[in-house]
Amino acid sequence: MPRVDLEQLVHEELRRLPSPIAPRTLLPRVMAAVQAWAARPWYARAWFTWPIGLQVLSMAALAGILVGAVVIAPGAEQTVRAAIAARASGISMAVTSAARQMEGGVTAARALWRVLGEPLVPYAFAVVALMALACVTFGTALNRVAFGRT
Amino acid sequence: MSHAEFEAFVRRFQDMVFAIAVRLLGNPVDAEDVAQTVFLRAFQRFDAIGRSPAAAGWLRTVTRNACLNHLSRYRNRLHLFSELARTDEDAPAIPYEAAMASSESQATAIESDEQRQQLQEAMSRLPDHQRVPLVLFHYEEMSYQDIAALLGVSLGKVKTDIHRGRESLRKYLADPDASR
Repeated sequence: MPRVDLEQLVHEELRRLPSPIAPRTLLPRVMAAVQAWAARPWYARAWFTWPIGLQVLSMAALAGILVGAVVIAPGAEQTVRAAIAARASGISMAVTSAARQMEGGVTAARALWRVLGEPLVPYAFAVVALMALACVTFGTALNRVAFGRT
Repeated sequence: MSHAEFEAFVRRFQDMVFAIAVRLLGNPVDAEDVAQTVFLRAFQRFDAIGRSPAAAGWLRTVTRNACLNHLSRYRNRLHLFSELARTDEDAPAIPYEAAMASSESQATAIESDEQRQQLQEAMSRLPDHQRVPLVLFHYEEMSYQDIAALLGVSLGKVKTDIHRGRESLRKYLADPDASR
């Protein structure tokens, strides 16, 4: 059938169908939703609808935060710099002893790895590969069965 | 604004909003959810739209968009606007005019109702990517270009999907049992 004929026929038949009527439950549902929305607490509403006292309080709090950030930030930066400088002198002494301790720790860790870790490496790889394969299989099956993708 | 005034507003437009939603979604339960969302939005802007002559147009647009959002949110977007073709070619090719003509000339009133019911059922059974542009074209009287822009797909795809939708309707009507 030519496209134009089919278009006209479908159009006419669809337009002749009775228009769906809203279920009786719609109006009560809408009114209940509207009442719930109208009764929501002040903090869930737009700021300009808050009580005037809360608007003033929130503005004051915001101003306090901004002023605090501007006034306190430079002072805090100076304090931190001073603390870092004081620490720096003591650090060089501490670094040497820390390096020695670290060397001992690394040696012990290597010994432990050779004894306990290395023998398990092939098994760990096998488990990871099997899990990856299972994920791929499950994903493919889900795609085909649940979403109908090929 | 009073609740009574808004209730009258809902009563006035509920059938229109629900009809658009149920046609686009093909499902009365989802359509009721969407209609509720639309009226809640209308309530939030009731001072502006309550007495406006553009209220119906505003509701139509918001309902349309809410339905499209609903479809893209709750169903797979790839499915919604995909090119996946159904195997329509296997269905029997009984001419649409023949099916319609029989319902017009020979059928009794009951058979005519059955025919209508079949057509409605066939519409709701169409895949989203065919039903949505079909409804927008035939009920919302949108042009192919506007539908393509609204759905964010090419003009060619809209035309193809609408044509496939019409063909599917014709085949459903010709043999509803075979098409299930």
